[in-house]
Amino acid sequence: MNKLLLVGIAIIGFLSAAAILAPFISPYEPSLIDSASLLMPPSYAHPLGTDGLGRDLLSRIIYGARISLGIGIIAVGISLCIGVIAGSVAGYFGGLADSIIMRSADIMLCFPTFFLILATVAVLEPSIINIMVIIGLTSWMGIARLIRSEILSLREREFIQAAKAIGASHYGIICRHLLPNALGPVFVNATLGIAGAILLESALSFLGLGVQPPVPSWGNILIESKATLGVAWWITLFPGLAIFVTILGFNFIAEGLRKHWGYNA
Amino acid sequence: MLKISNLHVHFDLDGTIVKALCGVTLGVNLKETLVVAGESGSGKTVTALAVTRLLPAAARVTSGEIYFNGKNLLLLEEDALRKVRGKEIAYIFQEPGSFLNPVYMVGDQIMESFLLHQGLPRVEAFAETLRLLELVKIKDSRRVFFNYPHQLSGGMNQRVGIAMSLACRPKLLIADEPTTALDVTTETQILDLLCELKSSFGFSLLFITHNLSIARRIADRICVMYKGQVVEEADAERIFCSPQHFHTKELIHAYQTIGTQ
Repeated sequence: MNKLLLVGIAIIGFLSAAAILAPFISPYEPSLIDSASLLMPPSYAHPLGTDGLGRDLLSRIIYGARISLGIGIIAVGISLCIGVIAGSVAGYFGGLADSIIMRSADIMLCFPTFFLILATVAVLEPSIINIMVIIGLTSWMGIARLIRSEILSLREREFIQAAKAIGASHYGIICRHLLPNALGPVFVNATLGIAGAILLESALSFLGLGVQPPVPSWGNILIESKATLGVAWWITLFPGLAIFVTILGFNFIAEGLRKHWGYNA
Repeated sequence: MLKISNLHVHFDLDGTIVKALCGVTLGVNLKETLVVAGESGSGKTVTALAVTRLLPAAARVTSGEIYFNGKNLLLLEEDALRKVRGKEIAYIFQEPGSFLNPVYMVGDQIMESFLLHQGLPRVEAFAETLRLLELVKIKDSRRVFFNYPHQLSGGMNQRVGIAMSLACRPKLLIADEPTTALDVTTETQILDLLCELKSSFGFSLLFITHNLSIARRIADRICVMYKGQVVEEADAERIFCSPQHFHTKELIHAYQTIGTQ
């Protein structure tokens, strides 16, 4: 265990705990409007201040963590599933399957992802589920390529031949023998992917096509702060800081894991 | 029980055709030890891998037949072939360390054979594995079960490899230079172990080596390969008393020279 990994795990652990325990630790209801305390700066009663509707910013950021982390993790989960299956089939079987899968990945990579997501969300409705699925569906290509290249080199190793020689099936060889050896670099990549997905969601929310108010996400708290930026710096600073620290945490974990396992990815 | 006749295997290396086997014919009888000897590149390993169609993708069997207990293995469906691999024909490979998957404990990998072919419940498979580890003379089998391949020595890994291949009591064991990577003392132990297991399990052994001194110790019959062909096949005694082909003479000479030094 190196320091980077520990710090990363501490940050993400802390944020995840806050997200899971949100109803117990947040001082107020996240959408409780208190017209007596609009745009209050940080104080004892409201540690991070209040927004233009008098809602407690700390509570909104804690509840926002649920949405933002959830979207990051589930979106990457979806892209992991697609990427691992596509990459291992392409790498193991090669030939026509490989060509079809990798060419579709290349086609997907040609689209400017962000605008693809924007357009799709604009046509469909921007619900949390849709956003997760769309981010997942547009970010599997990197993982597929990574898995494919790992499997291409692993399948020439002797223990794969040994597994064939004791009569293991294709499925058994992929799942039992190839994937466990290929997953290390993929985890590193997926951790970075979570950070990317959270940023993407914030950007979408900032453009009004992400998570819809009143449900708080870090991105849409930021956009609501835009109107009052001149008088209330805290509404912009704290959600931005939350995004920043989370991305940093995931990047630390990715870098730490990479060092811990000794990859040069 | 195993009959290979007129086997031709070509490798297609980016358009250049390399003829690895040009008409190999050999047979292994029940409970017999056949040693296939020959220099590097003579096609010993290709022959062994071709038996259960484990050849790399670039290789192609252009003609020939491989019969095992009456079944033509070259025409068998993939599913049926998988039941032959491991269960009826098992392999021991050259590099004991790299033939074990580095992410699993060695015991788990031996258990895989039981789970694949015999569908034993895990508890029974575990007990069987421990018994098997004791059969290949691993003393503290419980500790070794939970070791990873990199924690064991080459000799130990090869014992694990043997245990793995014997799990389903195969009728034919193909050993591809199983002792080449080991030192001489360990080599002797492994060879003795193989001979002992052969008589208790009653399998036929197809043993590949370039070392005729090993052949002399274990072989019933010897088959000498040279440039993709079987150039001489005879009882072990006869090969050493009156070698016919010049390559056989070379091989015998090679080990005698080392022996006298």
